[in-house]
Order: sequence, then C-alpha cells, then structure tokens
Amino acid sequence: MTVTQAALVDLKGVGKRFGAVRALNDVDLTFRPGECLGLIGHNGAGKSTLMHILAGTLSADSGTVLMGGADVRNGYSVQVARQHGIRCVFQELSLCPNLTVAENTRLTCPGLRDFGWRRKAGALIVATLDSIFPDHRISPGEVVADLPIAQRQMVEIARAFTCVDEHLALVILDEPTSSLDARVAGQLLHHVRRYVESGGCVVLISHILGEMLATCDRIAVMSDGCVVEVRGASAFTHASLVECMGTVSKPQDQDRVFVSRRDGQPPVVEQLPARQQNGQAVAAWPGEIVGLAGLAGQGQSQLLVQLLRERIASGKRVAMVAGDRQTDGVFSLWSIAENISISSLAALRHGLLIDPQAEQAMAAKWQQRMNIRTPDMNNPILSLSGGNQQKALFARALASDSELILMDDPMRGVDVGTKREVYAIIKEEAARGRTFIWYSTELEELNHCDHIYVFRNGQAVADLPRNELSEAQILRSSFQEEVA
Amino acid sequence: MNAPQPMTLKKPPAANTVDRAAGGVNRARWLRNALPGISLVVLLATIFIMQPRAMSYMGMNLMLNLAVPIALATIAQMLIITVNDLDLSLGSFISFVACVAATLLNDHPLLGCLVLLGCIGVYALLGALIHSRRLPAIVVTLGMSFIWVGGAVLLLPAPGGSAPQWLQALVKIKTPVLPFAIVVCVVLAVAVHLFLMRSRFGVVLRGAGGNPLAMAKAGWSLLRIKVTLYALAGGFGVLSGLFLVGLTTSADANMALRYTLLSIAGVILGGGEFTGGRVSPIGAVLGALTLVLAGSLLSFIRISPDWQIGAQGAILILVLALRTAVNRLEVRPV
Amino acid sequence: MERHTLRCALLSTALLITPFMHAQADTADKTIALSNNYAGNSWRQSMLNSWQQTTEQAVKDGVIAGADSFTTAENQATEQAAQIQNLILQGYNAIVINAASPTALNGAVKQACDAGIVVVSFDGIVTEPCAYRISMDFKQSGLDGMDYLAKRFPDGANVLEVRGLAGVSVDGMIHSGVVAGASKHPQLKVVGSVNGNWSQTAAQKAVAGILPSLPKIDAVVTQGDDGFGVAQAFTAAGRPLPVIIFGNREEELAWWKKQKDANGYQSFSISSAPSISSLSFWVAQQLLDGKQLPHDLLSPAISVTQDTLESSLKGLEKGGIVSQVYSVDDVAQLKSPAPQ
Repeated sequence: MTVTQAALVDLKGVGKRFGAVRALNDVDLTFRPGECLGLIGHNGAGKSTLMHILAGTLSADSGTVLMGGADVRNGYSVQVARQHGIRCVFQELSLCPNLTVAENTRLTCPGLRDFGWRRKAGALIVATLDSIFPDHRISPGEVVADLPIAQRQMVEIARAFTCVDEHLALVILDEPTSSLDARVAGQLLHHVRRYVESGGCVVLISHILGEMLATCDRIAVMSDGCVVEVRGASAFTHASLVECMGTVSKPQDQDRVFVSRRDGQPPVVEQLPARQQNGQAVAAWPGEIVGLAGLAGQGQSQLLVQLLRERIASGKRVAMVAGDRQTDGVFSLWSIAENISISSLAALRHGLLIDPQAEQAMAAKWQQRMNIRTPDMNNPILSLSGGNQQKALFARALASDSELILMDDPMRGVDVGTKREVYAIIKEEAARGRTFIWYSTELEELNHCDHIYVFRNGQAVADLPRNELSEAQILRSSFQEEVA
Repeated sequence: MNAPQPMTLKKPPAANTVDRAAGGVNRARWLRNALPGISLVVLLATIFIMQPRAMSYMGMNLMLNLAVPIALATIAQMLIITVNDLDLSLGSFISFVACVAATLLNDHPLLGCLVLLGCIGVYALLGALIHSRRLPAIVVTLGMSFIWVGGAVLLLPAPGGSAPQWLQALVKIKTPVLPFAIVVCVVLAVAVHLFLMRSRFGVVLRGAGGNPLAMAKAGWSLLRIKVTLYALAGGFGVLSGLFLVGLTTSADANMALRYTLLSIAGVILGGGEFTGGRVSPIGAVLGALTLVLAGSLLSFIRISPDWQIGAQGAILILVLALRTAVNRLEVRPV
Repeated sequence: MERHTLRCALLSTALLITPFMHAQADTADKTIALSNNYAGNSWRQSMLNSWQQTTEQAVKDGVIAGADSFTTAENQATEQAAQIQNLILQGYNAIVINAASPTALNGAVKQACDAGIVVVSFDGIVTEPCAYRISMDFKQSGLDGMDYLAKRFPDGANVLEVRGLAGVSVDGMIHSGVVAGASKHPQLKVVGSVNGNWSQTAAQKAVAGILPSLPKIDAVVTQGDDGFGVAQAFTAAGRPLPVIIFGNREEELAWWKKQKDANGYQSFSISSAPSISSLSFWVAQQLLDGKQLPHDLLSPAISVTQDTLESSLKGLEKGGIVSQVYSVDDVAQLKSPAPQ
C-alpha cells in the first residue's frame, strides 16, 4: 500500500445475469500490480462469477473491462485474458486427472511446443513447485488421479505461476487453501507475498479470515452480487469483516450451559474404531452432537464409513453428509429437489410410484428451512453455488427419518454465514432427539458439540465433554508424540 | 494483522505413508498397464501348447490376419472413447466402407476415393454435431448405424462385389520373419501411442476426456478436439474396412456388424475406461488380439459349439475381474 | 471288419463295395471339419444331428480319423472366416462349410485351398471357384410341385403361391420354379401371391388377409414350414380346403394324414433334406480319396407322396422334418446343374 500505480484491470459497472438471478450488479473494482487483493463474501455473493469474468470463462452482460486504458469487454475470452497475463486457479480443480503433472502443465503453456517438451514441462513445474512448496514430493511423471487432493491443489497453483515466454501479471486464487493443511497453506501465502512484492498482482478468495487479514493489502467485501466495501486490510478486523459481509445469522450462543445427556439410557452408537487398541469406543446418546477431532486423516472418516456400513447392514436408518460433495455427495445431473428427496423415497411413495407433489412439498419445505438460494428447486443442482449445494446435502440427510446423522467435515469451503445457519439447524434437530456424529477440521465447530473424541493414528485417544473442551486440550491429544 | 490466526487442524501426512502409498499406486498402475500384455501372452502360450502348429509363420498369419481390421476398429473406437463418447455405428460403418471398396472403389477408383474421404468428413461432422448440440453420442451413432447399413445394402443388395486387386495384394504381403499381420499391429500400436500418448497434441485430445470443463477454461476449443478425434476415428474405420475387404475379397452389407461390440470390448480389455480419457492405444491393440485369439483357443480346445459363446464371455469376464482386482490395489488417497 | 462289410452290404449294392473298401484304406487317417454358421432352427439342428450320426458311424468304421463340427456364435461372416482359418491351422484335411455369406468367406476359403485342404460348401454355399458346392435344385422343387398340380387338375385350377422371406435367394429360386411350372402348364393360373416368411403364424396371417379378395382356390404351393398355417387360414375362413403342396414338416404331414384318414385328402410334399450335411461329408471323403467330381453339384430334393406319407411320418419326431440318411454311394448319383 505504498504508491498507487496504474491499474492492471479496471472493472466498471460490471453486471451478469443467469436467467432471473442477478449474479453481479454494477461491480466496480480495480486490480493493481504489486498488490494482493482479497475478495470475501458469503457463498453466492458473486465472487466466483466475478473471477470467471476476469479470467474470460464467462462474459459480462454490461459495464466495461478496462485493460491498459481500453475496453476489452467485447470479444473478451480466455485467450485474451491470457494475453494480458491473467491466470486463474478455480475453486473446482481444473487439472485433467488422466494426465501426468507435466502434461497438465503443457495444457496451459502453449509455449511448450518443441521436441522434448515433456521434459521441459516437467522441469518447469518442478521448479515452480520447489519455489512455492519446498519438500512437495511431487514428480512430474505422476498421473494426477493418483495424487492426494492436497498435492493436486499444489500442482494447480504452481501451474498458474508457471509460464514460458509469456507475460504473467495477475493470478486469481479462488479458495486455494481449502484442501491444504496449515503448513502448506502458510507456504503458499508466503509465496503470494513474495510474488506481490516483486510486482505481481494476486486476487485471493478465502473463507479463512485470518489468512485474508494476514496476506492481503486490500480487501473487497462482496454481498449479493455487489462490492459493498473496499478497504486496506489493516482497516479491518475479524469482527468488522464478518459484519461487512452482512450475514443474516444471529451470533452463536457461546455460553450455552452444558448438560450431559449421558444419563443411564443406552447409547445409540457404541463403535470401536478399527485400529483401536485400548477398547475406548466412540459412543453417542440420543440428542447428542458428538465431535470427532484431531488432525486431518487420522481415521475419523474411516470411523464414519465403518459406522455407516454397519448401520446399513443391520437395517438401521442412518444418513451421511459427505464433505467431498463432487465425488461423494451430489447427483450432478439431478435437480435440487431430487437431490434432497433421494434418501426419503419410502416416505414419498404413493402406491408403487413416487408422489411428485409430496416431493415438491418436501423440496419447498427444506428450501425455506435451509434458506437455499435458487429461483426454482427443479433447477439442476450444479446451478447452485458451492455452499448452497452443501445446504442441499444437509437437507437430504435431515429430511430423511434417520435418527443418526453422520457428517464428514461437511463445512469445507462454506462461508461463515451459511455455517451459522446450518449450526443452528443442527442444534434444533439435536434438541428433537436426533444424534449427530460430526467430524470437523475446524476447531470452532467443536464448540457446538456435546462430546468430543480426539483421534490420532486411527484411534480415539481422548474423550472430552464440552465443559472440559479447550484448544490446549485438543492440541495436546492430537500431537501427543511431539509434546511428550 | 490484528486478527488471531485461526487454527486449522491439519497436518501433512507422515512422510513414510506417502511413499508407501505412492509405491503401491505405482505397482498397481504398472500391473494394470501390463495386464493386457500378460493376458495375451498367457493366451498365446496356451494356444502354442494346444496347437504347436500355430507357432509358425503361417500359423500366426492365419490366426491373426483377421485381427488387423479388428485392431484398426478398436483404435477407432478408442479415439471416440477418449472423449467419453461411444460409437455404436462402427461395425456398420466398416461394413459400408467394405461395400464401397468392393463396388465403387473397384469400378471407379476416383469416385470410390471421394466417397471414402466423404465418410471421414461425415464422421467429423458427427463430432461437430454431437458437441455443438450436446447430443448423446450413443443415440446419434445408433441412428447412424442404420444409415450406414442402409447405404451398404443400396450399394450391394446381395453379397458380392470384388475388392480391387491392389488391395487384395496389399493385405497379403509376405513380410520376412514376422507375419504381415503382426507387423501392422505393432506399427499401428506404436504410431498411435506416439501420437496420442506422447505428442503435445495428443495430450490436448486426452485432456478433453479427462476434464473437458477445465480444457475449455484453459482456452482450448472442445469443438475442434471432438471433430479431430471423430475424423481420426472415421479414418481408422475406413482403414479397417479396406483391410477387411482385402482379406475377404468380397463384401456383404452385414459383414462387420460384430465389430462394434468387439471394438468396445477390445478397448476395455486393453485397460481403457468408458469415461475420464483413460485409454491406451497399445492396450487396445493387445485387447483386440486377445479377443481374436480367445476365439481361436476355444476352437482349438474343441469346446462344444453350445458352450463357445459362454466360454468367450467367461474369458472376457475373467480378464475384467482381474482388472478390477488390480484397481482395488490402486489405493485412492483422498 | 466283418460287421462293417455287412453294413455296407446293407447300405449299398454289391458293385459299390469294392471302391468303398479302397476309400476306407486311403482316408482312414484323414480328418474333416464342419464349419457351420448357425444352429438356431429345427432344420439346422436336424442338419447337425445328421452330420453327427453319419460321422460317428464313419469314425467307428475306420473310414475317417475324425470329423468335428464347429458352429459360430453370432452368424457373422467375419467370425466364420476366422473359424475357418483356425480349422486350417488345426490341420484338417477337408472342411465342409455351411456359409454365412456366399462371398465374404472367399478369402479364408482360398487360403484353405492353398494349404491343400478340400473345401466343400453346402446349403449356404461359397462362390470361391476352388471350393465345391452342393446345393439343392430349388427351382426344380418348385417345378415339381406345379407338375403334380398339373396332373391333379388337368382341366385347370386357381393357384395361390405362398412365398418365403422376401429378398432371400432361396425364395427367388423356388419362385422361379413355380413361374416356370405355370408357363409349362397353362391351365394352372396363379391368382395370388403372399409372403409366408417360412413361418406357420406369418403364413396364416398373410393368407387370411388375402383370401377375401380371391376367387375359389383349388391349390396352394408353399415353400415349407408354412403349409399348416395355410390350412388353418382356409379352415378359419370357412373356405373349401385346396390341395396344399407341403414342405416335409412333421406338423404338415400329420395334418395331411388326419385329412386323408377323414376324407381321402390327397397332396404332395417336397423340400430340401437337412441330411445334405451327411451327403457333403461323403463328398468330402470321396474327394480326399482322390475321386474327381465337378465343383458344382445338385442334391436331390426329398418328396413325400400319397403312398409314402405313412412311412415318412413313422419315426419322425414332433417338430421334425423328413430326412434321409445318405451313404457314400449317393455321391456317385449327384448331378451337375445344367449350364445357364
């Protein structure tokens, strides 16, 4: 935030409609070199749409896109964007899973054309990976499908910063840290700072407020398709950012009195993790919200799947909300209504067939209850923004008559407002006697749980009621080896 | 910078687990790529034990020369499967080409060549139509299959015609050491492999099958990719028809109908998958050879005619079951 | 050897025994394969049975070392061509073929001939000149039916023709025989023609459809597998039963027998014999033995007359077709078709 330089891109009055939905409304935004611009807002606020317009994959309906002083909105395309040095890492991964890391690099680097391009591309991407994520352990010959999701994300980010004989001026990072762990995310943010200081421009979109405040020079807050506030990052605080986003949810009741529900009745669930050695089972009583904590990938998901299989095998009702909605969650060709009603078909049956009116009624009820933002529940599920898709998945689980609901880190990439809405509904349902088992990677979510099991190496190593919950306690249990 | 850094409870997976998992994945992938080759070798060994006569120049030639058109058809099908489509008209298209070769190409070479080029053009148009109108390829090609058969019957109402002499001579070339059929299969597999798997253009074509949306976002024209692949598939279909009619010397409007399913089975046997752009040209050729040799083996071990269809199916299921088992080994890390 | 000679004596005339003994000596170590494209109807099943019976006996008698049959799964020419190539590899001395296509197997057949293998095709024949072809004289069978009718109706008759499957060559050939018969016997007038598709139900429906528009029908010529349906159509329409020329199927003959017992109904039946496979076997065996035969041969049709009706029906299983076991001496009586 030193000297105001000439703008790279200047958006003036940009608007975009999808049918009746106004996704962007008269957006003014300036992108300058040597600056990291943060873009924040609840899901569906129009951040992704705006970035798609900037990257050339969507075209604006109105307004002007000024680059170097000229309006390029007409005929603007991915190619034009690339000529102006604009690259984008989209929220949904855009690597081809069937190709190797080097081959994927080739797809965005037309400069790699001579004989031996494969080796050259491999060397380039590895060099970039080395500079952003030291000790990344990715080899250029690996097929992307074989990489864990975090490494795919790393490749995708590195690819955006890789170029051959090309002008690179602006990189858009849309939720780049959602599948990275804290250390790697830190490496990325460090690189962003370095790149910006060398004169580049980065647009960063993230729901992790601390990340935004620590990395960005300026932050633009979006709400309902408009930019409502642009300020220097130092002028924001955690609280003022949330306030600016204008989320509708009420502040959470932090001081809720903890009452144990473990009062002599038999538990609904008593499950031993597969690798458990000391006989400590994960138990849940009716009406309880049980949290599974610990570092990512310590056997929490496996426990949920194990539980799911056994409940189904023994014919008991159970529902699961998947975290990875692209692969495990949505039926991408179906409508929102169908996606919600799929786990309740028995209740919607009319004779041998599904009663369409009952299905519509159920969809309408849950649209209202979950506040799913769509003009029509019969639209395809993919027409929803990511957070609203996740809401639909919640609606699917809650609409079923299952007494037990499993949640596998379901809030990944969901904005704060949506999260709060969903938390409230979960508590409401728990109060009605439903049992939730909730794996979460975010510490503050555990505040909503009655009982927390901390996992390490596939085993539940600690069992904490909420009144004993503390960050330090969880950290101790998660990192015991390191601490001891 | 006054906000507290939120704690995200994620830790890099321990180094040794990553390496172990990667090793497992690599071994599984190696096994998966080798599976078509292994099944072919096992099949060949069994055949040589059952029928030592087959282990000769003439023997291999006899067993495999009808495999060449099937291998060509399989490559054509594979190109379509690369972009997650399926060509149900391939068999009737090859029959049509054979009929053209046995009639027009023989009587009016120039007109015949034009018609064959036109066929490739039709395939390119199909690719454009399927892409731009977002039609399901299965439906479009199913419709086309009737058109091709109709055209073939119009050209050749009763079986007959005669393949041009040069074509008959071409497919009967006697190459030294290795039979012509094997030479053609090797050249075909290697050439298509170099093009599709190693060249920078092939990467783009396969990428369109892996993640078409991302390709469009990266600025590639999906239309051009599809048109290219369909035209290439049409080209290989024409080659398959020409080779077939050269071998049989005359044509029949229904002569190659079973190639549709054989080619699909060949691609899948060769390690390809229906979606995701995961294909392998070498595997596809090996798959086609496996299918042909499976037929020979059944005939050599004198399986009763009533059981042959079942036994052929059993071989297919066996190979696919092996493949599923190998896929299980490929632990997909999340 | 004693028993074998005895059997030969039963089968053939004394004169034929001597050459036959020769044959046995020369082909005892030879093998013959049958390549068949389709096994899905009664005629084909009967044809395969006939092959099996004849060859089993021949192997037992030491005439031949082995005779196996192979049927393709999908009735497609390319598949059969591959099968023939496999048979060449397996070292058969002769291959008998019922072909899926008259032309598409030519490449494989030529390869077999080049490898010194005798190729005999029957029923579905191949056009490759090096192969032998045994086909029934379908035109003659059509003509035979008309000849019989001319005798029955010297003063003229209205004839309805029930044809087979449109576009199939056999149908065309039988039809040409019927046309030839009509011009040979001008008193027979063909007043209508329908396609019965060689099926009882299709024939019944087709005839029932055309009957109201026709004058009195005195006679019907059919191609086989459809005569019973025609009779049903006439009965259902309440029209007087015409003379129906049948095609040797059991149900047709059984119906004929019932009518004959009830009201002295007279008719005639003619069709090709599925045992043509056994005839082809003997042709191949004779060729292997060094006998010279023309490349094109006509197999006789089998006919059933009023006098042979009972004997033909006897031993005919339900749904079967009249057949006849050929022996080696029948080969000598085969004729070449008249040059066209």
